[in-house]
Amino acid sequence: MRLASSQLAHIPLIVIEGECDHGSAKALHAAVEDALSADPRAILLDMEKCTYIDSGGISVLLGAVRRLRGSGWLGVLAPNDNVRRLLEIVGLTVDTGFRVFDDPLDASLALKDLGD
Amino acid sequence: MENTTPTADSSSEGGRCLRFSVKAQAAKLAEIRRFVEEVGYEFGLDEERVFDLKVAVSEACANAVQHSGGTHAPLELCAWFHPNRLVFEIADSGDFRVPQAERSAGADTRGLGLPLMVALMDEVRIRKTRGGGTNVTLSVFTGV
Repeated sequence: MRLASSQLAHIPLIVIEGECDHGSAKALHAAVEDALSADPRAILLDMEKCTYIDSGGISVLLGAVRRLRGSGWLGVLAPNDNVRRLLEIVGLTVDTGFRVFDDPLDASLALKDLGD
Repeated sequence: MENTTPTADSSSEGGRCLRFSVKAQAAKLAEIRRFVEEVGYEFGLDEERVFDLKVAVSEACANAVQHSGGTHAPLELCAWFHPNRLVFEIADSGDFRVPQAERSAGADTRGLGLPLMVALMDEVRIRKTRGGGTNVTLSVFTGV
């Protein structure tokens, strides 16, 4: 798994590439913690190139949702069908602190709403 | 790679078994998934079912890695080919743990592995082995 951290409209954006499992989740956890340290209202994870995730990675997502719920949300960008199915199974997709976006533009619009 | 070459075997039921043995450590999970992929596609499963199997087997193996308590004891996988069913058997030699009562780093997600296995597989069985380890079987049924 490879990670790259940047920003989209002043919101932390973490690009996840490859497989996010029990062996690599620690690195994602560190990146998310780093992003949360600036107290953002939202965090975006670009998962378009994330080919695999299991409870190792999902636990990091759940932790971030818990921290952001109320003030904002954790957004996931363009997950593939298999990854999206897992996020549904664990109940993330119906969580008020979680969003899925198919397009970066949708994410930008949602970020604008958050700023108002 | 010396201990990771799959070897063939056969059972009393007439099913064919492919064995895979690795050290019980989280860094080996990706290697295990490559094995699951090969077996799944050889059995004729589609991409979605292969993904499900990769997750379920990874969860079982991640639990086994925890059971091993960092000893890196061997983790034994066996893929059983039956006419209408593909079965992965995962055996560890660590201390048996009630699956629900364990979890790794993400403290707020206790026991997410087992529900995922159950949600993704057609059948999940967990039993304590005579030696005190844990034996998990994950099954995918086809053509029923």
